Amino acid sequence: MTPFDYHRPETLAEAFRIAGAIPGARYVAGGTDMMVRIRSGRERPGALISLGRIDTLSRIELGSVTQIGARTTIGQVLEHPELTAAYPLLALAARPFASVQVRNLATVGGNVCNASPAADMAPVLLALDARVEIEGPQGTREVPLDAFFKGPGQTDLAPREVLTSIVLEPPRPEARSCFLRRSRVGMDIALTSVAVHFQLAGNRLTRPRVAAGAVAPCPLRLRAVENLLEGRAVDAALLDEAARLAEGEIAPITDIRASASYRRRLTSTLVRRAITAACEESR
Amino acid sequence: MNVECTLEVNGSSTTLQVAPSARLIDVLREDLGLTGTKEGCGNGECGSCTVLLDGRPVNACLLVALEVEGRAVTTIEGLLGPGGKLSHVQQAFVETGGIQCGFCTPGMIMSATALLEATPAPSDAEIRDALVGNLCRCTGYAQIIESVRAAAELIGPGSGGETPR
Repeated sequence: MTPFDYHRPETLAEAFRIAGAIPGARYVAGGTDMMVRIRSGRERPGALISLGRIDTLSRIELGSVTQIGARTTIGQVLEHPELTAAYPLLALAARPFASVQVRNLATVGGNVCNASPAADMAPVLLALDARVEIEGPQGTREVPLDAFFKGPGQTDLAPREVLTSIVLEPPRPEARSCFLRRSRVGMDIALTSVAVHFQLAGNRLTRPRVAAGAVAPCPLRLRAVENLLEGRAVDAALLDEAARLAEGEIAPITDIRASASYRRRLTSTLVRRAITAACEESR
Repeated sequence: MNVECTLEVNGSSTTLQVAPSARLIDVLREDLGLTGTKEGCGNGECGSCTVLLDGRPVNACLLVALEVEGRAVTTIEGLLGPGGKLSHVQQAFVETGGIQCGFCTPGMIMSATALLEATPAPSDAEIRDALVGNLCRCTGYAQIIESVRAAAELIGPGSGGETPR
C-alpha cells in the first residue's frame, strides 16, 4: 500500500487549512471505501485528513429540523431509538448495510460523498427529501441531496469543502414508507434498491417520494412515478402504471452482478411491492 | 517519517512509533506481536481481522492505527482470563467444533463476543446477522452458529455477559 501522511484536525478551519496546503489531500471519515481504494491503487492521496476528531460532525439533533452529523456511523443511526422511530426508513437501510464491522466504521456522510450509484443510504435519504449542509473556507451552504449527486463518484463538493450534516424535515404525520433492496448475498452491493415515502389521507397518497439506487449513474428520484401517485388511491391499475413508468426513468447497466434488463424488471417489481407494503404498513 | 502513537490495547497503554499510514492490523501484529488477529482479504470483506473498538466489532484492516488513539481496542488475546483461562465463547468454539483450520476463528469469536454482550440470548437470525461480516472458507458455519448458541448457554441469563477488557 502506498504510504500516506495522516492528519487529524480538531476543527473544520484547521481541516480547510491542511486541505489547502497539501495538493491531492483527501478527507476521510470511516475509511471503509477509501482504504480499499488506496490499497488497490485506485486512489493515491497526497495525504488523508481524518474528520474523526471534529466533534461537531457527529451530533444528532431532532427538532424543528433534524440534523444528522456527517460523521455519524451507520451503527450509531441504529443505536439512536428516537431517530429511527422518527424515520423508520433510516433503520431499514442501515440494518442490512454491509456487515456489523463495516457499520461501526462507515458513516452516513461518507456513504453520500462517495456518490456510489449503489450507496445504500442514498435512496432512503432521497425519499426523505434530505438536504446536505456543506461547509467550506467561504462559508456554509445547503443543497438538496438530489442536486448533490453529479455522477458516479462525483458530487457538488468544491475542493476543500466538507459535507457536515444531513438535514431532514420533521417526520410527517401519517407517513408511510418502505425500503427494499436486492443483492445476490447479504453483504454484496445492491443490484437495485427502492425507497418509497408518502402520507396517507384516507386512502389517497400525498407528497409521494420514490427513489432508486444502482440503476443509473446516480441514486435518483423517480419523478414520473411520484407525479402519477400524487392524490391517488392505490389499486392494481395504478401499480401497473407506476411499475411501467419506473422502467422508463432508469438507465441501468449490465455488469458482473446483473444485466440491465434484469435490473429494469427488478426495479419495477420493487416499486410495485414497496408501494403496496408501505400502504399496508400499520402504525 | 514515523510518528508517536499511544494505543490502548487489551487494557494496557503502549506508546510506539508508527508510520502515519500504518493500519491497526499492522501495528497489532508487527509491533505488538498480537498475531491472534489475522489478515485475510485486507478489504473489510472477510472479518478475519475483527477486533473490538470500544466494545464494538470493526475491521482492523480498514483502520489507520492513529485513528484509534484514545479508544479501547480488544483483540482475541484480551479475552483470556487469569491463568490463560479461555472465555466462555472461546470454550464453546472448542467444545462445539466451531473451529476447523482456525484462521477465521479469532474474528468469529470477537464478533460473537460483542453480540452476546449486547444480546445475551440471541436468536439464530441475530447470530447470523452478527456474523455476516465473518467468512469461513472451511464452511463450518453450522458448527459456528451452534458454538455461539452454546456460548450463550455457558454465559447463562443474568450473568452480565462477558465484558471484554
